[in-house]
Amino acid sequence: MTRMAVLTLLAVLPAGALAQRGDWPMPAKDYAATRYSSLGGITGANASRLRPVWSFSTGVLGGHEGQPLVVDNTMYVVTPYPNVLYAFDLTREGYPLKWKYRPPVDPNALGIACCDAINRGAFYADGKIVYNLLDGHTVAVAAATGQELWKTRIADLSQGETTPVAPLVVKHRVIVGASGGEFGIHGWLKGLDLETGRIVWTAYNVGPDSEVLARAGTFKPFYDRGAELALTSWPADVWKNGGAPVWGWMSYDSSLDLIYYGTGNPAPYNPEQRAGDNKWTASVLARRPEDGTLVWAYQFTPHDSWDYDAASEMILADLTVNGRPRKVLVHFDKNGFAYTMDRATGEVLVAQPFVEVNWAKRVDVATGRPVVDSTKLTGASRGNIKDVCPSLEGGKSPASPAAYSPRTGLFYLATNNMCMDYQATQATRIAGTPFIGANTPYHAGRSGRLGAFIAWDAAAGKKVWQTTEPYPVWSGALVTAGDVVFYGTLDGWFKAADARTGTVLWRFKVGSGVVANPITYTGADGKQYVAVYAGIGGDWFLLSGDVRSDDPADVRPPADFMPDIARHTSQGGIVWIFAL
Amino acid sequence: MDLRPLALAVMVSAACGGHEVAPAARHEARIFAGGIAPPAGTRAVLENPFRGDRQSAAEGERTFGAMNCDGCHGGGAVGWVGPSLRDGRWRYGGSDAEIFQSIYYGQAHGMPAYGGLLPAGTIWKVVTYLQLLEPPATVPTQSWK
Repeated sequence: MTRMAVLTLLAVLPAGALAQRGDWPMPAKDYAATRYSSLGGITGANASRLRPVWSFSTGVLGGHEGQPLVVDNTMYVVTPYPNVLYAFDLTREGYPLKWKYRPPVDPNALGIACCDAINRGAFYADGKIVYNLLDGHTVAVAAATGQELWKTRIADLSQGETTPVAPLVVKHRVIVGASGGEFGIHGWLKGLDLETGRIVWTAYNVGPDSEVLARAGTFKPFYDRGAELALTSWPADVWKNGGAPVWGWMSYDSSLDLIYYGTGNPAPYNPEQRAGDNKWTASVLARRPEDGTLVWAYQFTPHDSWDYDAASEMILADLTVNGRPRKVLVHFDKNGFAYTMDRATGEVLVAQPFVEVNWAKRVDVATGRPVVDSTKLTGASRGNIKDVCPSLEGGKSPASPAAYSPRTGLFYLATNNMCMDYQATQATRIAGTPFIGANTPYHAGRSGRLGAFIAWDAAAGKKVWQTTEPYPVWSGALVTAGDVVFYGTLDGWFKAADARTGTVLWRFKVGSGVVANPITYTGADGKQYVAVYAGIGGDWFLLSGDVRSDDPADVRPPADFMPDIARHTSQGGIVWIFAL
Repeated sequence: MDLRPLALAVMVSAACGGHEVAPAARHEARIFAGGIAPPAGTRAVLENPFRGDRQSAAEGERTFGAMNCDGCHGGGAVGWVGPSLRDGRWRYGGSDAEIFQSIYYGQAHGMPAYGGLLPAGTIWKVVTYLQLLEPPATVPTQSWK
C-alpha cells in the first residue's frame, strides 16, 4: 500500500478506526449496522452483577428512540424535540456536561411528525456530531466545543416532511432522508457535503429515472427490467404524493461502495388510489454515496396494502447460504418476512416469516414477489378486512434495529405479535395535513402474548430461540463478544440475556418503557459500560395515550389491545449507564 | 404559515353573514394582568350558531374526516399525535370562540389554520360536532386490580 493510499484510508475511516478502541461513533456501531461490540468484559458468568452507575434526566418527555454515541471519553445524547444535544465528560466523577447545544426548532414540526417527536440519533465523523432536527434541518456541531458549524434546511414542513432519521456519514457525504409517509410526501435521500452542509445531490425514491437517479447501464435491479420503473408502476401524477419516506437506518459496504436503506409506505394507505406496484416504496435501494446513483433496488411489498414500511435496517454479514459463502444483507421487514439477500446484486436468497404472517403465503425467491392471499388485500371498496397479520406496527418495528453476532452467527431482534383489521377509506391530500385513508385497530396474535425477543438464523431462515414478553417489544438489540445480548421492554425493564440460549441473566427497571437502542463502550477506566435511554413514546404516544401525564388538557383512555401498560410505565427521558 | 388576514376577513363575512370582520382572538379562560381584561369592544362576540344541533354535528363529523382532522386527532377525536378533543378538556380553551379560532387560525405545535380552506359556517359545524362528544367514563381516574 502506498503512503497516499494509507493517508486516504485514514481520512475516510475515522469512525471505523475509533470504533475498534471501544467507542460507539455511529448509530449501529459500524457501517455494517451490526450493533455488535467486540468488548467481552460482561459475560454470561458475571452479567447478573450488573448495576446502574449513573443516570441523567434529559428534561424531555417525548419518546426516546435512538442511542447515545461515545467518542474519546465523551458521550453524546440527542433528545427528542426540541433536539437538545448533550456532551458528557466520561473522565470526571459524575460525568458532568462539557457543553449542551440547544438549537431553535420550529414547534409546528410537532403536528407534522406522524408518530411522536422522536429522534433516532447522531453520527460522529471528522470531529463533528451530525444530526437532524425534527423541523427539517441537518446540523453539524464541533464535537470538542459544541459550536454549530453549519445548519442546512433539507426538508419542507409545509409538505409534511419531518426529519427524525439518523444521518449516515460516508467519506465526505452526509446522507439524510425525511419522514412523511402519512403526509403524502415525495420521498427522497440527499447527500450533503460534510465540510459545508451544502446539498450535493437529491435522489427521489419514486418518479422518473432522472429524479430517481436510475441511469442506463448503471441501474441493474435483479428482478426487474426496463426503464422508468418508479414512474410506470404508478397512475399518472399520483407518485408526486406517493410517500416512500426514509426514516429508518442506513448501512454501507466500502468494498462495493454501496449505501443501503429502506423506504417507507406508499401514500395513501388506501391502495385503490394508487394502482400498480408503486416502486420504490417499501423497498431496499443501493446507491453510490458520492453522487446518489442508484445501482439496484428490490421491493419487499409491491403495491403495499398494509402500511408495511421497509425502513428497517439492512445488516451486512458474510454467511454461508446453501453451502456457498455469500456477502449478504439481512432485513427484518414490517411485513413479517426476514430476507437474506445478495448485497451486490439484490437477489433474494432466503425469505421466511419470523412472526405470524397471513397477508402472503410465502415469498417466491425466483421472482422475488410475495404470494399474496387475495382475501387480505385492502381497499376502500373492499370494506373492513379482518385479521391481517402482522399489524402495521410490523412483525418488527423499524424503530427497533436488530443486532448480529459473528460469534454466534445469529441475529437478535425485538418482535411484535399483533394483527389488525384494515378499513381503507378515500383520502384527500391537503398539503401539510395527514394523507392516510385507513382505520386499523389492532389485536393480539394467536399466542396472546404481544411481543417476543428472538434469535434468528438468517442462513437457514429459522428462529433459534425466543423469549415472549407481555407487551410488544420496541427496543433495539445489542450483542457483545461476551455472548450477552441486551434489550429493553415497553413496561420499563432493561434486560441482559445469554446470546446462545435466550436465558435472561439480569434485569433492571429503568423508570419508563424502553424504545431505544442499547450501546456498549470502554470507559476512561478501561471497564466495559452499557448505556440505554428510558422514555416510552414513538407509536406508543399515539396508541397508548394513557402513558402520558404531561398535559392536563389531553387525557385518553387506554388502548383496548393493551389496557394495562400505563400501570407499569409513564413517560420519561433518562440516560442510564450500567457496569459490573 | 400564511394567515392572509385580509383575505380571511372577506371570506368570513361572505360565508357567515352575521360576522363582518375576521373573528378577533379572545381568551376568556386566561389570566389578565392586574386582573383587568382588555377594554370592551375589542372582542367580537362569537357564538356557535349551531350549538347542540345534531344535523350540523353530523355534517361537522364528515368534515372532520374529509379535512384529515382525524389523521392527527384520531378517529372519533380520541387523540392521536394531536390531543384528544373529546375528553372535555381544552388546551387552548373550550368556549365557542376559542375552538373556532383554534381551527380558523391554527395553533402552535402544528395545528394548521383552516380559515383559508373552509368557510366559517363549515368550521362552526365542526365545533358543534366536537362539543357534542361525550367524554369517556374512565377520565380522570384510572385504576387497576
